[in-house]
Amino acid sequence: MIVAKKSIARRTVLRGLGAAVALPFLDSMVPAFAAIRNSAANPVRRFGVVYVPNGMAMKHFTPEAEGVGFETTRLLKPIEAFKDQMHVLTGLNAVPSNAGVHASAATRFLTGVTPARTESDLQAGVSIDQLIARKFEQHTQLASLELALDSRDVSGSCDVGFSCAYTSTIAWRSETTPLSGENNPRAVFERLFGDAGSTDSAARLARNKKDQSILDSVSDKIDTLQRGLGPNDRVRVTEYLEAVRDIERRIQRAEEQSDRELPEVDQPAGVPATYEEHAKLMFDLMLLAYQTDLTRVSTYMLAREISGRTYPEIGVADSHHPTSHHRNDPTLYEKIAKINEYHLSLFNYFLEKARATPDGDGNLLDHMMLMYGAGMSDSNLHNNKGLPVVLVGGASGHLKPGGRHIRYAEETPMANLLLTIADKMGVPVDKLSDSTGKLDLLTVS
Amino acid sequence: MGSLVRLELPVVWRLFARCVTTVGALGLAWIPSAVEAQAPTEAASPQRALVNEYCVGCHNERVVNGQGSGMMAEQLQLVGLALDVADIDNVAEDPELWEKVVRKLRVGAMPPQPRRRPDKETYDEFRRWLEAELDSVAEANPHPGRTQAFHRINQAEYRNVIRDLLDLEVEVSTLIPPDAPDRNGFDNMATSLSLSPALLERYVSAAKKVSRLAIGEAPPGGAVIETYKIPLNMIQTDQQSEDLPFGSRGGASIEHYFPVDGEYQIKLRLQTNYVGYVRGIDEAHELEIRLDGRRIRQFTFGGEAPGVPAPISFSGNVRGTDDWEDYMLHADDPLEITISVPAGPHTIGVTFPRQTWEDDGVLQPRQTAFALAINEMPDTNPRLDSVQVTGPLSVTGSGDTPTRRRVFTCTPATAVDEQPCAREILGTLARRAYRRPVNDADVNTLMEFFQAGRTEGSFDKGIQFALERLLADPDFLYRVERDPVDLPAASDYEITDIELASRLSFFLWSSIPDDELLAIAERGALSEPDVLDAQVRRMLADSRSQAMVDNFVGQWLYLRNMRGVYPDPNIFPQFDENLREAFRRETELFVGNQLREDASLLEMLSADYTYVNQRLADHYGIPNVYGNRFRRVSVDGLERGGLLGQGSVMTVTSYPNRTSPVLRGKWVLENLLGAPPPEPPPNIPALEEERDGEPLSLRQAMAQHRENPACSVCHAPMDPIGFSLQNYDAIGSWRDLNEAGSPVDASGILPDGAGFNGRAGLRDMLLDRPGDFVGTVAEKLLMYALGRDTEYYDTPVVRKIVRDSAGNDYRWSSIILGIVKSRPFYMRRSDS
Repeated sequence: MIVAKKSIARRTVLRGLGAAVALPFLDSMVPAFAAIRNSAANPVRRFGVVYVPNGMAMKHFTPEAEGVGFETTRLLKPIEAFKDQMHVLTGLNAVPSNAGVHASAATRFLTGVTPARTESDLQAGVSIDQLIARKFEQHTQLASLELALDSRDVSGSCDVGFSCAYTSTIAWRSETTPLSGENNPRAVFERLFGDAGSTDSAARLARNKKDQSILDSVSDKIDTLQRGLGPNDRVRVTEYLEAVRDIERRIQRAEEQSDRELPEVDQPAGVPATYEEHAKLMFDLMLLAYQTDLTRVSTYMLAREISGRTYPEIGVADSHHPTSHHRNDPTLYEKIAKINEYHLSLFNYFLEKARATPDGDGNLLDHMMLMYGAGMSDSNLHNNKGLPVVLVGGASGHLKPGGRHIRYAEETPMANLLLTIADKMGVPVDKLSDSTGKLDLLTVS
Repeated sequence: MGSLVRLELPVVWRLFARCVTTVGALGLAWIPSAVEAQAPTEAASPQRALVNEYCVGCHNERVVNGQGSGMMAEQLQLVGLALDVADIDNVAEDPELWEKVVRKLRVGAMPPQPRRRPDKETYDEFRRWLEAELDSVAEANPHPGRTQAFHRINQAEYRNVIRDLLDLEVEVSTLIPPDAPDRNGFDNMATSLSLSPALLERYVSAAKKVSRLAIGEAPPGGAVIETYKIPLNMIQTDQQSEDLPFGSRGGASIEHYFPVDGEYQIKLRLQTNYVGYVRGIDEAHELEIRLDGRRIRQFTFGGEAPGVPAPISFSGNVRGTDDWEDYMLHADDPLEITISVPAGPHTIGVTFPRQTWEDDGVLQPRQTAFALAINEMPDTNPRLDSVQVTGPLSVTGSGDTPTRRRVFTCTPATAVDEQPCAREILGTLARRAYRRPVNDADVNTLMEFFQAGRTEGSFDKGIQFALERLLADPDFLYRVERDPVDLPAASDYEITDIELASRLSFFLWSSIPDDELLAIAERGALSEPDVLDAQVRRMLADSRSQAMVDNFVGQWLYLRNMRGVYPDPNIFPQFDENLREAFRRETELFVGNQLREDASLLEMLSADYTYVNQRLADHYGIPNVYGNRFRRVSVDGLERGGLLGQGSVMTVTSYPNRTSPVLRGKWVLENLLGAPPPEPPPNIPALEEERDGEPLSLRQAMAQHRENPACSVCHAPMDPIGFSLQNYDAIGSWRDLNEAGSPVDASGILPDGAGFNGRAGLRDMLLDRPGDFVGTVAEKLLMYALGRDTEYYDTPVVRKIVRDSAGNDYRWSSIILGIVKSRPFYMRRSDS
């Protein structure tokens, strides 16, 4: 047999500072870098989303009590250490879908719209992270970073009648361009630091210069390309041109920031062998991206929507999606709760690291707003009502102290939260899908 | 049509009321004011009468436009199809709607049980009549459809294109991410192939890496480590590959591309338990490394056991003495060599010479999960875990590789020769890469980059930089089809021969045209029927047509999903990586050989042979098959043969811990019968699991699907098909008892009354409707060939291809030629 697929060896290491350091690597190799222009006078805000599929075991998620005195439920237990920076939001309703519930769950989570049931074209809406990214991108090399753990090549296991792009994407750059997450850590590293193999700045500058000349030359061709095309055909050319511009912008920013010292990290070899290692490595890279201020916006799908992944490492050898249709069977319900808990414990891994990473006058988590949640609530019903959502982080003082559970009135649109998030990030958005106004995250005591 | 009765009563009202009653009986409320009946006019034709009698009770304007509630009403609103207002006596008015109706008639899905339906003869006659009507409408008003103007090269195509352009095999998954399959399951659909900045960056980065490899330039960051990992659950008891010697056991054969002439380190890691103890080192073992078949080093390791070991079974919890721990953890450290290797592709073989004892060949449950993680198995055979290739540690030259020979078609003797030589090299590459004749502007652009590289370094560096530019060009990354200038909007035209050449090569090879094809297209001769015919046959006979198996078959049959299935090890301890690999190979060889031998498409169902190696033969219970080599065997009388019953198909349509008649039924409907069920409605009520205190069997529980029309519309065809394959468990082993321990009942009846039993029954039922099966494959192929969704106006084209190929025994070539010579393939409608 020919073994052609490359993946990382069991002794997963990222080599840094000349020495082999096993994961997790960040603690040991972050140089005195944290002084990005982030001071109390000029706090940087960052936004992140972590998405989990197939809904949750809601009775283990939702606290009984509202306000500051809420009890830590079973699912919130893994991130209990962050209670003082946490808003647990319940009762928010996503727009209903009468078709493709899984495609809709992921698509509407950040866009507020369900996928268009067009015959072939992809169509949704611009997602809130991208609206924020459009504003923040002037400061960073990358507008945003999209991460995933699943490979994209699965046939016939997406939602019936919908492109797999819908179930594997939460970030939409435009109505027609989904930003599917990258699942190969090696590729994520390249996106952040280039393909010179390490974060060495001289090598990166040389590479950037070459890339720039190629992109200049390529964009000279756009006029020729567009000649004779009707408006329908121009979509792809525009998309291409925008991608070129985006990379050019990144290169320009990188040159402006070339005096900036980066942590010396070498490229990961590939996809780690276990789900947990993989998930944590991606969280490490996400943290690295924030920490180096290469981007201020990222989204991460811990599994794609309708995922049938099994979790034998926590004793759930059953496929996630069919198990999520638990029909209130206690055994199945328990399994779903276990998966939910496990995902939250991975999220906790990131939160701990973010809090331990100095940033300006505090730590990274102080200057972030992270949203963790699912695109449906009760997995059995694939319900669009009462989505489980947690906000964590200080948002650079734009979120009042956390430690609250806020239960919203029935029929409060999820889109209102999206508006509120954008507002807290300093990006005013007037209306999104069925939004009726911003939420009150501040006055609930 | 004599059997149709003219209806004179206001049947619409009567039937409408009945539909309401049916729904009402299920406890699903209706808004009373919604029910307003109108007396219809007398039916104008037998067809109208039939539709009135059997369809419009539910499929009427009021329900479809939103009156009424409940699951069934919601479904009707989703589906549409108000058949009371649609004019069946003039199908030309809305062929799209009537094509949807035809599709529902294919497996007799409509009317749903327990609604009344016409007798079979009337039913089939109606379908034939409707198809004939639609065909004549299409004949009178053909529509070739419109492929998107820009079609990005996807991941799978990129690999092939680089191979054919540069004679270079790249590990494409490290260069470009895979593309999401569209709703039909194919990843080469133009509308789905969008481009994000991140993706363009990957293409730009790939251009850099590939161009460096092509000229033989060492990677910029120094040595690179590449790791080939063998899955933990790959059993290594046998000769793993024909590239490894007879009498060898385990290990792996790896195709590695060495970028330059130079020194490389090859490091072998052995499998360990979770704390890192190397397995199987109680006794001494031998391990050898080969390069292109030649042995370059034999190691001996193990059998030393210094110090005092940890108590057995306390692996990792209780330490042994330091020297024992060191030995257990690092016994594979010495397994590395540093050697000089010439640039280019080479085969690294790593294997254990077979020892005097060997497995008895009886299939044992595999050690999995917990045990596999914990057990250090000191007395077992060691297994190879990974091969790491690090390099180049030193560089001695660019080497003489097939790629360099292909790229450097000339060598400048003097400085004066450089410009013309570079122009020749780049002009040749650009013509192939852009898949069209090149002009001065194309070459001039590339020459600017040649010049920049030349100034920085050598002639080769100039070519590398120009090639990097070429591989980032939109003319390379996109297949572009442009409407001719001055053509009125929405008019049909024949695409150019140059465009046709690319359509052909991407259809049959997932790659660029070769020089012969391009030359014929440049002469304008490709669209001549005889020439086209000959080219298609030549291309199918070429080994590059393997792409159809990898990409079309791999996605059509969900074969690619084999990579991601993980059967529950507690229930299927015998499942291992060897079986996963064998399943995939079986189906690939089975369909691939039929394609090359130009068999009938029906042979995919009817074949009484298959392809197995020893591992798979053991799984299927086929005697007298030894070794890892796949060979064709007769399976007459063994409940195998044909796609139905192949392990791959049975496994990808199961859950990790059990079979699913629904998934299998859906797979058959969608992929073999072309009648995909619509999506399930939201908030489906759970099936009752017990009745009167008695637990229901899966079959009994699923019988509830038949009682509710909202369910039966999809499940009535799906469930019986799925149940007929219940003799195959979730990894395709034959079984007589189901999960619950009761005898498998594999009988079923389709909604149209056709009864069948088991795999053979299902197969015969499918073979009885050759048009439906062949039509489904043809439609999927057409979709794949065009890279666009098929529309209602393509369906008559598919029916014609099937009709025309019937006389040719539905051979692969007749279907493929039928597609190539169909309007959607050689024509296009201009932008409207």
